[in-house]
Amino acid sequence: MSDNTIIRTENLCVHYDGGRIKALNGVSTSVEKGEVCVVIGPSGSGKSTFLRSLNLLEPATSGKVFFEGIDITDPKVNINLHRQKMGMVFQQFNLFPHFNVLQNMTLAPMKLLKISREEAEEKALKLLERVGLQDRASAFPSQLSGGQKQRVAIVRALCMNPDVILFDEPTSALDPEMVGEVLDVMKQLAEEGMTMVIVTHEMGFAREVAHTVIFMDEGVIAEKGTPEQVFGNPQNPRTQSFLRKVL
Amino acid sequence: MNWFERLHQTFIVGERYKTIISGLEKTLIITIGALLLGVMIGSIIAVIKVFAKDNKKLKPLDILCNIYLSVIRGTPVVVQLLIAFFIIFVWAKDGTWVAIVTFGINSGAYVAEVIRSGILAVDKGQMEAGRSLGLNQMQTMKSIIFPQALKNILPAIGNEMIALLKETSVAGYVAVCDLTKAGNQIKNTTYDQTNPILLVALIYLVIVILMEKFLGMMERRLRKSER
Repeated sequence: MSDNTIIRTENLCVHYDGGRIKALNGVSTSVEKGEVCVVIGPSGSGKSTFLRSLNLLEPATSGKVFFEGIDITDPKVNINLHRQKMGMVFQQFNLFPHFNVLQNMTLAPMKLLKISREEAEEKALKLLERVGLQDRASAFPSQLSGGQKQRVAIVRALCMNPDVILFDEPTSALDPEMVGEVLDVMKQLAEEGMTMVIVTHEMGFAREVAHTVIFMDEGVIAEKGTPEQVFGNPQNPRTQSFLRKVL
Repeated sequence: MNWFERLHQTFIVGERYKTIISGLEKTLIITIGALLLGVMIGSIIAVIKVFAKDNKKLKPLDILCNIYLSVIRGTPVVVQLLIAFFIIFVWAKDGTWVAIVTFGINSGAYVAEVIRSGILAVDKGQMEAGRSLGLNQMQTMKSIIFPQALKNILPAIGNEMIALLKETSVAGYVAVCDLTKAGNQIKNTTYDQTNPILLVALIYLVIVILMEKFLGMMERRLRKSER
């Protein structure tokens, strides 16, 4: 592992129901600083579980997750501090419906980074401008379209200055005409060098933006490589049959 | 003697209406005090029970909470009141604060389950979103889950409030001269079997109607914040 490694997992397992369901069954991989890592695979393959286990939303049954060199599965570690540096974007947006857009974005920075309201709002407005939503700052989530909600969710994560952002199927709950606007924001982030781990079904996006593609099946990494390798010349028969179905 | 003379005889002579007013005061004090205490106890119990689901260290507390819920919901409030006044707080001369404490503890058990169900009704993703930003469980609960749960629980809390107001009518058992007791006293001194009791009923009814109006207002206001 190099100094540039930002996330590393070591034989990571997530089991449910006393071990009868092995959602994640020994995943060892790493993500470098500035890397865009796209995780694909059939449903039930464990890709969402893998992503959610990286910030311990899904607690590991065994194995380790190192974030910036620290084993965050160690119960003595204050996970809240490390989560501040790991943004997350959800399939269902999970905006706070009782707060407006600006409040959604400034809550965590004000509470956790102890910055003033003015500073937090200034930063939030700048980010909103970047994603073209500066005029929706005082809107409530219920007044936004799906694509707008997801863009707000992305900038909400950015407000905490994360070192990595985890995307859990960010476009799967969107109407087709809104997928593009969200992917554009993600592409822009990738170009700026943000480290990203993305679970997605958007194969075109994966091929275009990813540095690394991970194909997961039955709770393990079945294949990992550059987009050219995985999409162009898949070695694993399971990858081949999956790609035949989706491409 | 016509009805107006009767009323005059019952309530005005000897300033007996003052008994009703002081009784009403007691009833309101007990209701409001018990409600505040009940909501406080209920919130704490609800949060403990919700947190205990994924934190093994809280298991003993969870068991204690369950015992509290079973015991309080399993015995009549009048009996609890008698136990509090005659067995636990034997030194108490004034039953009012004993009543507040008893009704508060009693109400807390019901409120706890109301609040818990309100918390559980908030989408799981909300807790995850809060936690993923780095907020701890308590911070997420306070800033994100609770405000949303409030909207779910307000109608049921209103129900509890109304039930509580009327339940306090048994406070007379422990030497508290509440509204019901006051009416009863006037009935006994004036031999007017009708008017004091009807007046008491009317006062309860009016308070409940006012409460309903107030709760309706609160609910509309909470919903508005989402538009």
